[in-house]
Amino acid sequence: MAVPYTFANATTAIPLSQLDNNFATPITIGNTATQLGNTITTVNNLTLANVTISSVATPITVAEGGTGSTSLTANNVILGNGTSAVQVVAPGTTGNVLTSNGTNWVSQALSASSSSISNGTSNVSISSANGNITSYTNGVLAQTIDTNQNSIHPATVVMGSSFLRNRIINGDMRIDQRNSGASSTATNVYTVDRWSYAASQASKGTWGQNLNAVTPPVGFTNYLGFQSSSAYAVGASDFFAFIQPIEGYNIADLAWGTASAKTITLSFQVYSSLTGTFGGALKNSAGTYSYPFSYTISSANTWTPVSITIAGPTTSTWLTTNGLGVAVIFGLGVGTTYSGSAGSWAATNYLSATGATSVVGTSGATFYITGVQLEVGSVATPFERRLYGQELALCQRYFYQWSSAGGDGYTSVATGNGFSSTQCDFAIQYPVTMRAAPSVTFSAASTFYLDSIQAGNANSGAASWIDATTTNGSIRWTFTSGVTNGFALKLRANNSTSAYIQYFAEL
Amino acid sequence: MYENAQYIQSYGRNTSIRVDINGVTSFVPLDPNNTDYAAIMTLVAEGKLTIAEAQ
Repeated sequence: MAVPYTFANATTAIPLSQLDNNFATPITIGNTATQLGNTITTVNNLTLANVTISSVATPITVAEGGTGSTSLTANNVILGNGTSAVQVVAPGTTGNVLTSNGTNWVSQALSASSSSISNGTSNVSISSANGNITSYTNGVLAQTIDTNQNSIHPATVVMGSSFLRNRIINGDMRIDQRNSGASSTATNVYTVDRWSYAASQASKGTWGQNLNAVTPPVGFTNYLGFQSSSAYAVGASDFFAFIQPIEGYNIADLAWGTASAKTITLSFQVYSSLTGTFGGALKNSAGTYSYPFSYTISSANTWTPVSITIAGPTTSTWLTTNGLGVAVIFGLGVGTTYSGSAGSWAATNYLSATGATSVVGTSGATFYITGVQLEVGSVATPFERRLYGQELALCQRYFYQWSSAGGDGYTSVATGNGFSSTQCDFAIQYPVTMRAAPSVTFSAASTFYLDSIQAGNANSGAASWIDATTTNGSIRWTFTSGVTNGFALKLRANNSTSAYIQYFAEL
Repeated sequence: MYENAQYIQSYGRNTSIRVDINGVTSFVPLDPNNTDYAAIMTLVAEGKLTIAEAQ
């Protein structure tokens, strides 16, 4: 055996002859054996850690876990291709969608016929022929929406916010039973139906339906207008406002005054010769809790849509009966006593927001409003259209007027009968059930006439109102003599078109 | 403004009140839900209005 070579002293290459037999034994890398000095090109079953590959001779194949490609174009979509190199789909033209033809995926424009999303027997499709959106569930037509935004439902519609959602009556100011469109300067009276003009000072402005005849906003024919007659400096306790009191029955579902109080949205359209911040408020029947709100009119003499969402009050008392549920107030000039910070509830009788523009403060200033809607939820939906007859009937729950205007002067009121030598009664049935037994006023007695079969014609005496309920009552006509007990009579206009009888059950 | 109030009778009992409201003669039924009646009763309670008996 040769003398062991001293490796530490080696100054040149170590000859193999100097290695003992053990160094001639192959070493194993992975499961591949080789001897030192040999060249190997393949190593099998080798696990490497922390490896950096600087290059490969050919792309790693799909079978080897690669893509089989030398590059992937930016923004292309990769498609599988068996064991061959992957395929790609380029984005193509703007608006294209990835579409299957049953075999391949391609980038293409929406179909010339229609596009649809399907899940079994349910699908939604968009027709390129007419633009309609159609949905099917379980293979049955469920809904069609056309390009005029009409939505057609073959089955029952269930909505979070229902039809008849507007709690405001006569929000489009169409009904004006009392004034028939005439303007007035009267204070603390009703203007168009359901809207009162409340004022602490007389003669500070004129109100009326379609006052000054500006063009209403698109879709409306009427508005309620106010024009200031002077530059009145509002005092601390002054107030000027349009108010609609809403009956408690019509807000009972809002659960106001409880932890479940619902949010509401108040929307309307306003037009003013002034610009700036305007104000209003909601308040309860007792005037002990209120919510001042503000809104901005940026452009003078331009209809401006406004939407205000208000979280419902969780405290205080809100009537859910035929009493006043909530009053909706639009300020036209309100003093500091009745003005509070906008945007929060307060245990105070506020009518408007602090700093709101005073319409009565500028001579000749105008303020017009229409399309008022108060609804549940945080979204202002389009103004709810009701048929004229429906709106009139809603108004007549609070005010009803018999009038000879428009007639031939002999319009009938009712038939009745004498029940003594001096008195006769005429039964009156209202068009709708009124909120309360109504108060009644009559035009002058001389505008009425009694056709009496037995007692002769008469246009004297005096009227009164008796035995009233929410559905009916009686007009009693009293004379000094001449009525026959038990005989029929008819009450009519006395050749007059200015006779009227007004029934009030307002809040 | 409520003035000159007087009860009106029907079949021997009070049935309404004739009263001038802002100068206009009105007839107000005895219904607590009627806002005119409620206002009249408030004024009566405060001693600011008297309702005359029916004739």
